[in-house]
Amino acid sequence: MFRYYLKLGLLSIRSNAALSALMVAAIGIGIGACMTIVTIYHVMSGNPIPEKSSSLYVVQIDNWSPDEPYDEPNEPPPQSTYLDATNLYSKGDEFRQVVSYKSSRVVQPPDAAELPFEVSSRATTFAFFPMFSVPFQYGSGWDTAADTNQERVVVLTQALNERLFGGENSVGEQLSLNGETYRIVGVLNEWLPTPKFYDLNNNYYEEPEEIYLPFSVAVAGEHDSVGNINCWKPFEGGYDAFLASECVWVQTWVELPTRDDKARYEQFLASYVEEQKTFGRFPRPLNNRLSDVLEWMDINHVVDDDVSVLLGLAFLFLIVCLLNTAGLLLAKVMRRTKDISLRRALGASKRTLFGQYIIEAGIIGVAGGVLGIAMTWLGLRGIEHIFTGMDFVQRLVVMDWSMVMLAVVLALVSAIAAALYPTWRAANVTPASQLRIQ
Amino acid sequence: MELGPIWRSLTRNKAGSVLIALQIAVTLAIMVNAIAIMQERAEQMGRPSGTDEANIFTLSSTAFVPDTNIQSLIEEDLKLIRSQPGVVEAIATNSFPLRQGGSARGFQLEPGAGKETLTGAVYYTDEHAIEAFGTHLVDGANFAPNQVVWGGQNGDEWPANIIITESFAKTLFPDTAESAIGKTVFVDDTRPVQIIGIIDRLQAPWRNWGEIENTVIVPLRQEGQQQWYLVRTEPGAQDRIMPEVEELLAQSNKNRIIQSVRTMQEVRDRSYLSDNAMIKMLGFIVTLLILITGLGIVGLASFNVSRRTRQIGIRRALGATRAQVINYFRIENLLISGLGIAVGAVLAIALNLFLVNAFSLTPMSWYVIPLAMLAMWVVGQIAVIGPARRASRISPAIATRSG
Amino acid sequence: MLKMTHVSKIYRTDTVETHALREFSLTVDEGEFVSVTGPSGSGKTTFLNIAGLLEELSGGTYELDGRDISSLTDSERSKVRNEKIGFIFQSFNLIPELNIFDNVDVPLRYRGFKAPERQRRIERGLELVGLASRMKHYPAQLSGGQQQRVAIARALAGEPRFLLADEPTGNLDTEMAVSVLDLLDEINAGGTTIIMVTHELSLAKRARRNIFVRDGRVSDRPPEIRLAASAGQV
Repeated sequence: MFRYYLKLGLLSIRSNAALSALMVAAIGIGIGACMTIVTIYHVMSGNPIPEKSSSLYVVQIDNWSPDEPYDEPNEPPPQSTYLDATNLYSKGDEFRQVVSYKSSRVVQPPDAAELPFEVSSRATTFAFFPMFSVPFQYGSGWDTAADTNQERVVVLTQALNERLFGGENSVGEQLSLNGETYRIVGVLNEWLPTPKFYDLNNNYYEEPEEIYLPFSVAVAGEHDSVGNINCWKPFEGGYDAFLASECVWVQTWVELPTRDDKARYEQFLASYVEEQKTFGRFPRPLNNRLSDVLEWMDINHVVDDDVSVLLGLAFLFLIVCLLNTAGLLLAKVMRRTKDISLRRALGASKRTLFGQYIIEAGIIGVAGGVLGIAMTWLGLRGIEHIFTGMDFVQRLVVMDWSMVMLAVVLALVSAIAAALYPTWRAANVTPASQLRIQ
Repeated sequence: MELGPIWRSLTRNKAGSVLIALQIAVTLAIMVNAIAIMQERAEQMGRPSGTDEANIFTLSSTAFVPDTNIQSLIEEDLKLIRSQPGVVEAIATNSFPLRQGGSARGFQLEPGAGKETLTGAVYYTDEHAIEAFGTHLVDGANFAPNQVVWGGQNGDEWPANIIITESFAKTLFPDTAESAIGKTVFVDDTRPVQIIGIIDRLQAPWRNWGEIENTVIVPLRQEGQQQWYLVRTEPGAQDRIMPEVEELLAQSNKNRIIQSVRTMQEVRDRSYLSDNAMIKMLGFIVTLLILITGLGIVGLASFNVSRRTRQIGIRRALGATRAQVINYFRIENLLISGLGIAVGAVLAIALNLFLVNAFSLTPMSWYVIPLAMLAMWVVGQIAVIGPARRASRISPAIATRSG
Repeated sequence: MLKMTHVSKIYRTDTVETHALREFSLTVDEGEFVSVTGPSGSGKTTFLNIAGLLEELSGGTYELDGRDISSLTDSERSKVRNEKIGFIFQSFNLIPELNIFDNVDVPLRYRGFKAPERQRRIERGLELVGLASRMKHYPAQLSGGQQQRVAIARALAGEPRFLLADEPTGNLDTEMAVSVLDLLDEINAGGTTIIMVTHELSLAKRARRNIFVRDGRVSDRPPEIRLAASAGQV
């Protein structure tokens, strides 16, 4: 029976070619608009570290002013002071923690004929690499001793290694950064956490830093933070005063695999803050927060409001396309009442007719879905084009198989939804009534 | 002319009309809100930065050799740039309008911790800033050269005087009509600074900041390794001078890199790229939507025409002129669109209220709705004209055919 | 007065030319009740279409009330149809989406009458055909005979000078057919010229004059009709 319906459906589509094309186009364009935005939304809100996202926590403690919260309503600052970051790091050494910040360095290429250039850098403690599952092509990160001893070691990204050493294993080579010599200990493999969850200070979708070096080295060398620095309490003096200030600028993360770990860490944080209160710090009520990766993305609104607005409008757009399709299908049914009535008189049951029309709609839906995939691809290229100059956008306009499948399923479901009412009308045509009068 | 019968005839065949009316309604709701957002963005993009944008370019200098004498490097660079023919003025600054990165500080009217502070963006630069930005002093005086101090990057130094924008003056002193010149405000809780000049306008560096017009020029030069230079040229000289300056600076000192050499226009384009893209995307969606809805109207009207071929023939036989047949379909469309447009206006307002609430969008201007309603109505009338013409060419002789 | 002189009508397709009427001449005087008969394909319907200004003629002249019709524009022809001609069709041709009242209203709207005038005429027309109580009904709710009576009311509402009937009883049973024909007689008695096209001889005999059409011409010798006519004179 299915094959018979399929044949009837195809016949009907062919006999109303212009109308069917209009319906396929409407669904295709609707799906295209929708899936273009859904794809971007999917990439933007994707889990950057699925295997660990629920055991990695960003640490927030509230050192802010007694007079006003960092942000309404009573939000603690998103980053830590240098003082707290280093205190938590050393006092909580039973936990795996990472403190880091973004800076920049000027690389003097080994080939003296090449001009120096600026790269983004991350000053971090050693556990960054294993904790965030960072893959290595050559070598590895450094160990805790390198942090303690302020060893000038550095890890490069694959791209930078390609640029400087032609992709050769450069572990053990020397690299001059701002006139100081570092030893290369590792080269990363391709690594593009999207969004860049471990530092949501600036652009959520920028690429990870190009080099990594010990936190202690960066602080000793007074590498300026290029992220946000927020202060509430004045301080006087130079860099040392800055380090001792209530300014927040360091990202602090902790890995807590079990509930028990989390409870113990919360206990640890609370006792740390209580202890600091006795020194006159932390004037606000206790307000510690641990947010896992997905919660942190949510708190930081990693999905741009514009994308959410566009997503809503795109779905409304799809609804318009469906109303369009439903209207056209209905018109088609109304025009064929005579034919339907005849079929009914010849013994077709309501169910038969229902099946026939739903399958016809299904064919149109699948065709619309295929067109929709093409439209989505075009839409993504269009978006890539109008965002020329924002390189990170290229990584947001990538369609994976799940999106392709979703496009077809969405098209099929939409077409069938659009066909429900017209089909119901068709199935309810009475057998003889339409035969008597012209 | 025959509203009554057309309406009664429509209600005999509700579903098709309701579907198209709903389609028009949702289209209108999307259209109105898309236009409202586009308008909001266009207005933001249209705000003047307060600088002589057409004749300004900027570049950054990053010194990378330890113990570089930053003070003398900046002095020499500025001297070199200012000496170029065609250069009107040049400054070193921590930031500038539209850059999307910079500093802001809290200013308070009374000294002491815990007092209310008002935030202003700060440009750390010197007495050449007003001329270099191309903004205008409307009250008070510019800094004297000896009022400019050197300081570190952590904000621990602070000069005695500042110049602020008119907007920030109003924010600081909302209740007084008298000039803010000579008034003292406090930074870092207790340091007094005196307002000695007021400029008409100079935007903060962040396009999305609510207090974008609240800006302060501070006569303090920061000794950081990274410096931004902002160069204003004579009209028409920019294209020539920009590469020259880049080359001169690169050659003058090899222990730093010159990068991000951009005209202010490029800075603006980069800054508003996503707003611009939003406008383009929404514009595209609206165009496509109107096209689809228009085609939907054409499709349904065509079907109505072919379904009613006989009826139209009968009407012609009974004396309807071609114009009257065309009018029939136009009025029918008017009624359906009217229904859709009315529902759509309500949907549009509801959607706008939601968007304003959920995404803190600016509420739309009242006139967008009637304009969009009119546009939607015109689209309907244009879409229906083809099928209606076809209907008018149906021969009245069809009435005498049986079956 | 309706006067056709040497009227011809040719239908052209890409390959075939069909002469539906050739040298067709006929005069119908004011107040006549004329029947037009002939076999299928003889040109009866074409004649009716041309007489009723539903189609244009290919040659010859056609005068209606002394006015040359062939030179009129499409909207002038519409106006003439609307004001001077009433139609009754075999398949009634009521508009299914409109109720009885609105159906009778259609030509009056095009005539541009004011609402009270239309109302008066519609009510009078429906009273005449005995359906005044069914104004809010839709065509599908009426029997065939009732539908045809509504069509007659619609044709008469504009008080036309000419009533063109195309097989008016073709879809009706005998009893209903008789009542419709009685109605036509009544109308003719009131002064309206009636031209009725039919292939049924028993109907044709109700007319005062019979025209026989064959091969697109008025036939010289329609013997069967003469017979029927003489029978009718009794």
